[in-house]
Amino acid sequence: MFIGALGCEPLQLARVNLENSTSLDVYRRNGGYEALRKALGMSPDDVIAEVKKSALRGRGGAGFPTGMKWGFVPKDSPKPKYVVCNADESEPGSFKDRYLMERDPHMLIEGMLIAAHALGSKTCYIYTRGEYRYLIEIMDRALVEARNANLVGEKILGTDFACEVHTHTGAGAYICGEETALLNSLEGLRGHPRMKPPFPAVAGLYSCPTVVNNVETLTAVPDIIKMGGEAYQKLGTEKSGGTKLWSVSGHVNRPGVYELPMGYDDMEKFIMEDCQGITKNRKLKAVIPGGSSVYIMPASDILGKDVKMDYEGLVAAGSMVGSGGFIVMDETVDIFESTKNLTEFYKHESCGWCTPCREGTDWLVKVFKRIAKGEGQPEDAQLLLDLCDNIEGKSFCPLGDAAAWPIQSAIKKFPEDFKRHLAPMVEAREAIAAD
Amino acid sequence: MSSESIKVTINGSDYQVEKGARLIDVCRSNGHAVPSFCYYSDLALQASCRTCLVRIEKMPKLQTSCTITCTDGMIVTTESDEIEKARRGMVEFLLANHPLDCPVCDRGGECELQEMVFDWGGLEERFRERKNYAPEKYLSPVVANDPQRCILCKRCTRVCDEWMGEDAIEAGGRGVNTVIGTYGGWLNCSQCGNCIEVCPTGTLLDGTYRHQARPWELEQTITTCTFCSDGCQMSLGSRGGEVMRAVARDRYVNGINGEFLCIKGRFAHPFVNHEERLRTPMIRYRKGGKLIPATWDQALEFAANKLRETADAHGAEAIGVVGSPRITNEANYALLKFANEVVGTSNYTATDRFSLAPFFESLGAGLATHRDIRFAKTIVLVGGEPEELQPLTGKQIRQAVRNGGAKLIVINSRAIRLQQQAAQFIHIRPGAEDAAVLALADERFDELAAKKLGVDASELSTARGTVLDTEGNCIIMFGGELSPAAQSLLAQIPHAASTDKRRFLFHPLPLYNNSVGAHDIGLMGGAHTASSLLGAAGAEIRALYVAGSFLPDHLRGQEEALSKLDLLIVQELFETETTRYADVVLPAASFAETDGTFTNNDGLVQRVRASIPPAHQSKPDWMITAALAQTLGMDFNFQMSASTVFRELAERTTAYNGMRYPLLKDETKPVQAKHAIAPRRDLADEIEALRLSIESLDETAEKIMGTPPVGHELFKPGELTGKVPQFHLLAAGNPKPPDVLISPLYQITIDAGLRRTDEAVAVAGD
Repeated sequence: MFIGALGCEPLQLARVNLENSTSLDVYRRNGGYEALRKALGMSPDDVIAEVKKSALRGRGGAGFPTGMKWGFVPKDSPKPKYVVCNADESEPGSFKDRYLMERDPHMLIEGMLIAAHALGSKTCYIYTRGEYRYLIEIMDRALVEARNANLVGEKILGTDFACEVHTHTGAGAYICGEETALLNSLEGLRGHPRMKPPFPAVAGLYSCPTVVNNVETLTAVPDIIKMGGEAYQKLGTEKSGGTKLWSVSGHVNRPGVYELPMGYDDMEKFIMEDCQGITKNRKLKAVIPGGSSVYIMPASDILGKDVKMDYEGLVAAGSMVGSGGFIVMDETVDIFESTKNLTEFYKHESCGWCTPCREGTDWLVKVFKRIAKGEGQPEDAQLLLDLCDNIEGKSFCPLGDAAAWPIQSAIKKFPEDFKRHLAPMVEAREAIAAD
Repeated sequence: MSSESIKVTINGSDYQVEKGARLIDVCRSNGHAVPSFCYYSDLALQASCRTCLVRIEKMPKLQTSCTITCTDGMIVTTESDEIEKARRGMVEFLLANHPLDCPVCDRGGECELQEMVFDWGGLEERFRERKNYAPEKYLSPVVANDPQRCILCKRCTRVCDEWMGEDAIEAGGRGVNTVIGTYGGWLNCSQCGNCIEVCPTGTLLDGTYRHQARPWELEQTITTCTFCSDGCQMSLGSRGGEVMRAVARDRYVNGINGEFLCIKGRFAHPFVNHEERLRTPMIRYRKGGKLIPATWDQALEFAANKLRETADAHGAEAIGVVGSPRITNEANYALLKFANEVVGTSNYTATDRFSLAPFFESLGAGLATHRDIRFAKTIVLVGGEPEELQPLTGKQIRQAVRNGGAKLIVINSRAIRLQQQAAQFIHIRPGAEDAAVLALADERFDELAAKKLGVDASELSTARGTVLDTEGNCIIMFGGELSPAAQSLLAQIPHAASTDKRRFLFHPLPLYNNSVGAHDIGLMGGAHTASSLLGAAGAEIRALYVAGSFLPDHLRGQEEALSKLDLLIVQELFETETTRYADVVLPAASFAETDGTFTNNDGLVQRVRASIPPAHQSKPDWMITAALAQTLGMDFNFQMSASTVFRELAERTTAYNGMRYPLLKDETKPVQAKHAIAPRRDLADEIEALRLSIESLDETAEKIMGTPPVGHELFKPGELTGKVPQFHLLAAGNPKPPDVLISPLYQITIDAGLRRTDEAVAVAGD
């Protein structure tokens, strides 16, 4: 297990390997809360301008420019404004937020406070997935420390800035990582996504202007303020500024959380050298680079293809950055089985709000299970694709798309894995036809 | 409320539509059919069924037309291969786990999913997997639930919350395992059954009608509900002379209430075919004797002779004629005509709890319709409890506040449930409603009123300020707590406070389905009230001719009054306290068996239509009165036709001038009576009288704390609802039996209360 930066100075991971890294003491000794002090000396508009200049994009998966999102919050609204941290890290393959909170909770608090200052908010919430209960304890301890040090509460750092930060735990639903479902859950309602528009920036938590940001997005903010937006952007590419955490799991010799500059060159080098290659000297079969919801990439799209690891590079290569859940699969993996596994996940996590996702994922799983039992009909591959087509782009929220994409790409890129499972019935039919 | 016009292009045709219009409505009103399940007018948007997908230029994906607000220059396609595939895909998904048990489903034949599949379903079913299973259950004595059929449109959860404010039904579970259910135990609500009504499939079903009939066997008759003054339009489904159910589904009826009905309207109809209905006329030949069945001729002859004897011995004024706020305008008109022209007595009245005569005499503005309430800017509710006594009004107020942003001011001695929606709740001492009216009308009395009401004077000025800040309609509602002087004072407020921008409308809250009609006909204008008539019984009043019965309120303290009469003629559906002393009892037809009209609290004159022939030997009330007149030698010339009665009634009643049955035919276009607006007048006398009575109010009386529970008025077994088993069950606290598979309604009898039959226990134990 490796936690560290490659190809750049560690920003997000600067302190994670220090002893007692969760303590305020260690954080402050390593430059902690200096960015907050600097930000409090800037006007909120200047803070937002720096974030815009940094080309920071939302690290939760959608990659929406953070500065732009902050800019949507109406300044003249008489309602209270909220900053909500989305720590419902539930994308299969992603575990970066967990390490950030587990090892450097103050960086998140500082990021939230800067965001609150920029947006005129007096209340922040950290919404953590139910399974991360122990992280809540870490965060709560850090919040107590911060409050005692006059970093949270009234008159922060001696200024007029006042802000409270609260932790809140979900109850174990993937959908609550979708920002509007998260807000519903935070309000105590069923975890269903809301209709957009209105977007949370206009009417979010309790119908008030709200910014919902991923943990990694918020933890990038202190460094942006410290080094300036432009310098941060220059670490990465023009449209994707700064560094990105990749949660590497699967068949590599050195899994872990890697901090890479945006546009890291290239994916083959990353897998084969930085992650020390595939386990047991097997061959690479496939990579899911951005968490389970993105298109699967076959080895042939990676090896020798110079895939740059940033938003544009991965789209060009036929996939997406997503949340950076980098799942590596070797030649022993049956893509049919892995896709079936993912589909079962999406069926289990579909919230049931809209027809295509609720009924579609259930149907998909039933077909997968039937094929796995050897009862697959030759036309089932086509059926799966057609069902995916009826879900994709028609569901209420992106969970439907997320369920469809892995199947579509798996059938397209690994048809032989599916053919193999459909073979018994094909052979049976041929036998009958021959009689 | 902008009236700016914008251009929208749908399938190549340009339309000018109002800015802010919803795309699905625009498509449909212009003939471009768009299917939907979850979209329901005036409920929160759901956008979950995904069947209303359309293509809008410059938008990346297909869009749900129910969530799209039209913008200028929008170019929309509602029909294309891509859209057809999407819609067929959605219907295929909806049908995947839906059991194809239409032949045994109560909704079969009137199911929206069936219709959708006819339009958008595939020829072949591609879903060959095992369907998910969930057991059938009962959510309450009247709501049966088959979760497998659910398509999760959540209309039920939304009407429960948004219409009823009860929030008793909600989805549980996740994903494909989501089921509609309660928060544990029975549905804890008023049992209105609106969740059943709006359900597009057979998921929520009427537990009292379950497996009783198929929709196509029923004859549907559009009529007016007989249980409160709201006058909801509903469709009675009858088969072979029996009323099977009452519904408001928009495929059958589209009245002022939409698909809304309350528990009484929907479930209290079994009194119509009740076995205790009076079967024949009956005569009590000697006082203290038994009622003996007789023929109509015998009974009418007997009654006529006795009436003649009374008139000869004591004069015409010794005879009283009593109508009812529950019978049709035609019936009350016939009674009034009988009193005026046959008997010649001024002693006539109707058995209402209170009279609206002072209100109508001083009426300073028109009556609000329920639609006006929905779009009102300010609503002032003095006394009353509409969510229990006029549930449609309650629903309209709730939606006006929640969806229309109306400001509601509740002035009540109890924290009625509607105060949750109120911008201001003035919690007053019981019986002090008059003081609130006086203060609203005249700020000089703020201090006095505040002292007596037990509130701060600023609360009253705040309320008045809200009213005077209103731009748009301000609707004033009041219950039966107001004294006649307070009614007059309230009715005159518009003269002082109306402006070009502010219009006042009134919405009285009488208790009965035809309280307003009984007033309009003039029946409330006699020399007596129902109580005083009883008080004079045996003295100057020697004979009474009563249609319907006296209320317990009237008889309280003078229970023996009726026994002092020389003659009591009663026309009724059932034996009651009033028939106990009757000399002649005439069986009357119920609202389901008669043609006529009711006038609701909007002043809308709405048709009542015969759904089944009169039970046994009963006859419509007006026909009985006309027959009695005939026996006494006067031909009313009604020609056996309710429309003739109504024509004459309309000619002689100013507010109804010009009305005819053909004009009242369409329940979607109700006709409002033209109540005369009284000119502004000096109210010094009323104000002085009110001041004096308010001065005498107790300043130490305790306020009533706590919110009355849901259904405390609705479930009361009384009058006609007493004949319906479930009202006894609900009044007894709606106990939940463990896991019953059949409705607990089959396990009780009215007399013995809750009783389990052996079979029921056996089924439950399986």
